[in-house]
Amino acid sequence: MSFLEVFQYTRQDSPIHNIDPRAKLVMSIAFAIISLTFINIVPLLIFFLFLVPLIIAARSLRRWSRSMKGLSFLLLFIMVFNTLFSTVPNPFSHSIALTLRLICLMTSFSLFFLTVHPDELSQALIQMRVKFEFAFAMSMAMRYVPTLGQEAYAIMDAQRARGVELDKGSLLSRIRGIIPIIVPLIIVSIRRALSIAESMESRGFGGSENRTYMEQLRFRCRDWGVLAASVLLLLLILYLRFFVPLPDWVLWELPY
Amino acid sequence: MFQLGRNDLLPLIEFADFSFKYLGADSLALRKVSLTVEEDEYIVVTGPSGCGKTTLCRAINGLVPHFHRGYIAGNVYVDGINTRESTVAQLAPHAGLVFQNPTNQLVTLNVEKEIAFGPENLGVEPSEIRRRVEHFIDLLELESLREKHPHEMSGGEQQRVAMAATLALQPRVLVADEPTSNLDPKSAEKILGILAEFNRKGMTIVLVEHRLDLIAKDASRVILMDNGQIVADGNPREMLSSSVCAELGIGIPKATQIYMKLEKRGLKLGRVPLTGEELSDLVEEASCS
Repeated sequence: MSFLEVFQYTRQDSPIHNIDPRAKLVMSIAFAIISLTFINIVPLLIFFLFLVPLIIAARSLRRWSRSMKGLSFLLLFIMVFNTLFSTVPNPFSHSIALTLRLICLMTSFSLFFLTVHPDELSQALIQMRVKFEFAFAMSMAMRYVPTLGQEAYAIMDAQRARGVELDKGSLLSRIRGIIPIIVPLIIVSIRRALSIAESMESRGFGGSENRTYMEQLRFRCRDWGVLAASVLLLLLILYLRFFVPLPDWVLWELPY
Repeated sequence: MFQLGRNDLLPLIEFADFSFKYLGADSLALRKVSLTVEEDEYIVVTGPSGCGKTTLCRAINGLVPHFHRGYIAGNVYVDGINTRESTVAQLAPHAGLVFQNPTNQLVTLNVEKEIAFGPENLGVEPSEIRRRVEHFIDLLELESLREKHPHEMSGGEQQRVAMAATLALQPRVLVADEPTSNLDPKSAEKILGILAEFNRKGMTIVLVEHRLDLIAKDASRVILMDNGQIVADGNPREMLSSSVCAELGIGIPKATQIYMKLEKRGLKLGRVPLTGEELSDLVEEASCS
């Protein structure tokens, strides 16, 4: 699952990391829409060349390229599959464009997820009027994923020690093998949840109508700039795409 | 360091004939418990498992009867407040509870957020929250952990963060329910050392603990519980040398054990020792005279 790395926050000090998460969210969505606007090689390639410097600015080029390598199998599959089964006049050109589009789309969203700490994300949601309880539930899920993972391994070991064969046999018996893992895991998690709730309650969770926050996100000039630039770029591209006849070189296709 | 003097004339904690039975349980978890805790005390509660120690802790900060429901009789007053009539959140600035399992007490992604969590819930001013965070990071030596995910910390470190997070509410009494039972001996000793240090600075502490050998010297009072009742209550030296301890199977410090054996053979040392050093001093005195 190495291709998912590109959606995982990494701690860095970069200009992209420092942008307010709300502005970055708008930016990522604008980029994603732009990726979906075109289905021709040339504009997508231009847009891709526009995104790469941003990834470099976020100091995440290595992580990004590792993810893309992990994804290469899927990309190749899309390309072959579409070339063989597509009904458009030039399937090879079309499938390359589709692949490029997927890469642009992933890169757009990774600009957000790579650079926004889960804490920042939940704080951004809270300041966008999402209820604290919901935003907090999300950050707590992040908090307990590794703990649950560890627990799952412990249960697997315990079941193996009792002779449950987890990685042998047919597909069906392997699926059946999940049950002795899942059931204890759920029970343990419910117990843990109760104990966590007890601890949170003891520290006044939900006790005051006016919850305060030690740190608030502040929208600075730079963030307004990013926001305005993203929206303007999106509008411009949409205008060019739908209201201006595109020149031939933009619609260029590979010879078929 | 800690806020003092809100209801100075009343005892800090008062149990008045308090009984409690968990919903669906067959027997009472606490039976007519009466107990008063004064300012500055360091109370160690011990007894066999299932004797009601944990329920006692929960009753102090209102988890019993608000979080764990059930049959209830009698009252508990904390800082003059009847726990029946106020919520757990309202009691949080009066009594702080540290639990056994450190992992389940850390609910955020780094130490700063964790310490801020309690005061934020209660609506404390952001600048004051920042001050408390810095204060407790300093006090509990958490500087190197500041940016760490709880998963990257050891059990002892997690428990220290959990203590800081509870203390950030500035409670008048710190209740700790077996805070060391999931820890290795060295981390356990460190946590108990911190508690003793806080007590010296004027914090009232109620600690549930099995390893009496590690804490008997710091405690000002030992309470023995069995079957939901307080069976003995007094200063550590009396309690540990009494027969009740042996009956309940409570482990007592080695030094006290040796003292009791010597006593049986007719050697009078005069005072009950709690540590090896005290014992060797007493033996030296006895052999000189």
